[in-house]
Amino acid sequence: MTALIIDDEIQIRRLLRMALESKGYTVRDAENGQMGLQEAVFLKPDVILLDLGLPDMDGVDVLKRLREWSSVPVLILSVRDQESVKLAAFDAGADDYVSKPFSTAELLARLAAIQRRQGTHDAANLQLGPLVLDPVHHEASLNGHALKLTPTEYALLAQLVRHAGKIVTLKQLLRAVWGPQAEEQSQYLRVYANHLRKKLEGSTLEIKNEPGIGYRLEET
Amino acid sequence: MSATDSPSAPPSPTPVSLAEVGQYSCGLTLVFVLASTCWVLLPYTGDLFVALVFLMAIVLAGTWWNRGPVLMMAVVSALVWNYFFIPPQFTLHIDKPQDMVMFSLFFVVALSMGHLITRLRAREATLAQHHQEREHLLELKHRAELLAESERLHRTLLDSVAHELKTPIAIIRTALDGLGQGNPYAKEIETANRRLQRIVESFLEMTRVESEALEPQPDWCEIGDVLHAATKPIQEELAAHPLLITGTTDLPLLRLDSRLLAQVLGNLLHNATRYAPAGTHIEIAASLAGSTLELRVRDHGPGLPLGAEDQLFEKFYRAPDSPAGGTGLGLAIARGLMRAMKGDIEAHTHPTGGAEFVLHLPVKTRSAA
Repeated sequence: MTALIIDDEIQIRRLLRMALESKGYTVRDAENGQMGLQEAVFLKPDVILLDLGLPDMDGVDVLKRLREWSSVPVLILSVRDQESVKLAAFDAGADDYVSKPFSTAELLARLAAIQRRQGTHDAANLQLGPLVLDPVHHEASLNGHALKLTPTEYALLAQLVRHAGKIVTLKQLLRAVWGPQAEEQSQYLRVYANHLRKKLEGSTLEIKNEPGIGYRLEET
Repeated sequence: MSATDSPSAPPSPTPVSLAEVGQYSCGLTLVFVLASTCWVLLPYTGDLFVALVFLMAIVLAGTWWNRGPVLMMAVVSALVWNYFFIPPQFTLHIDKPQDMVMFSLFFVVALSMGHLITRLRAREATLAQHHQEREHLLELKHRAELLAESERLHRTLLDSVAHELKTPIAIIRTALDGLGQGNPYAKEIETANRRLQRIVESFLEMTRVESEALEPQPDWCEIGDVLHAATKPIQEELAAHPLLITGTTDLPLLRLDSRLLAQVLGNLLHNATRYAPAGTHIEIAASLAGSTLELRVRDHGPGLPLGAEDQLFEKFYRAPDSPAGGTGLGLAIARGLMRAMKGDIEAHTHPTGGAEFVLHLPVKTRSAA
């Protein structure tokens, strides 16, 4: 597994390299956006860690250029923690966002989550811990017991399970479950997320909210 | 001069201003004076000269007066000329065909002069007004551009300061993660680093609040999510203070900026953990009165210093006997954020002891069923 770190701070690059190498990644790094893009073409990494405050160009622009030809998972690592900045990064195609200072354990978990997503598209059954979804019959079971879900609840849960561990933005969820005309209707989402939380209560699964950004289904 | 006169409408007798009444009477007087003078001079000049004098008076009047009085002058002087000067005198009857033609020509020329001149002036006035409006718009635009530019500069500066301050903290944090949990010295560095991070974030947030670059982004949310976001970053501090949360389960969906409200609550809770003795409860009570959300955060600490209930919210205010650490910014930020959201915050010592903070926030609601 190859990871590419694009960050202008040499200490951050060194520390990330040590943390990632201890988890078995092969690590390359780049100190600015141009070199990062070149490395991405040349190296075809499995995952990219991208800083937003680069000396030569904005990280969001690096991401946009990258997304013109690649769907490699990208984790944004930035000191900027305003909602608007995060949303701009997600709109440009980021897979997840970790604010600096970050906990290494959390960073590694997020990296694993955005890479897992790549593999789960065609699986016959979606599974996350005790939860199994049957996409053919739109049925779900938790700990082996059937879980009663309305079609909307099922669609929402399926989206979250498909991206388990990774944040899914409000816009993405609304578009996927209610259609493109519902992108601004976040109240639907709040209501159904609430229903799902009640139905998952007592299990090891938790639907976490990231204020202003979206939801994340995690197994604790 | 009234700019409401439209150039093609007939002189309307209805809304006559005081200034216009003056112009009408001046016009009549002028015609009278000119007619009398010409009457005296008639033997030396002839009736055509009189017509020219009247025409000149009408043209001059047109440069100062409104349309109505000028047209009135045209009509009156035509009639006066006809009655007193065109033979046969003292009748409106005209004998000679050439006098008839002269009279008609005079009438037409006088009327169109009056009309044309007032129209010209109306147009001039509109042009001047347009010009003024354009100048005004340009100035507004210029001012908006300046404001946007200074806001952009400010944001860039804030971003780069944030970057410079947070990066070393991030490096220390990551390096400590790499060291592992076992070392007690590492634990001390970590605590200090977290404190440093809190201070830096407070300063940055205070700057944001004061620069008014802060625009609340309300969205539908659940109060439970807000509380979760508020408590998560201070889990360790809260470990010593059991939370008693009431009233949140009955609340509908609320439309508010959950990040800002979470930050306000986080600051209040963090304060409570610093002042109240370990092991005491912190109570959070939520209720909705009409479209106002009320949140109360109460601790069981020493309460507030007497008479300082308002001073507390001032920047850098620190109560006497405050525990070490803390910047005196937490409550100033809380008030700044509440006000940015059109709400407010107040504080008092609870009658049965402990500090109580009350938040009011106007919200839209929607049933969560």
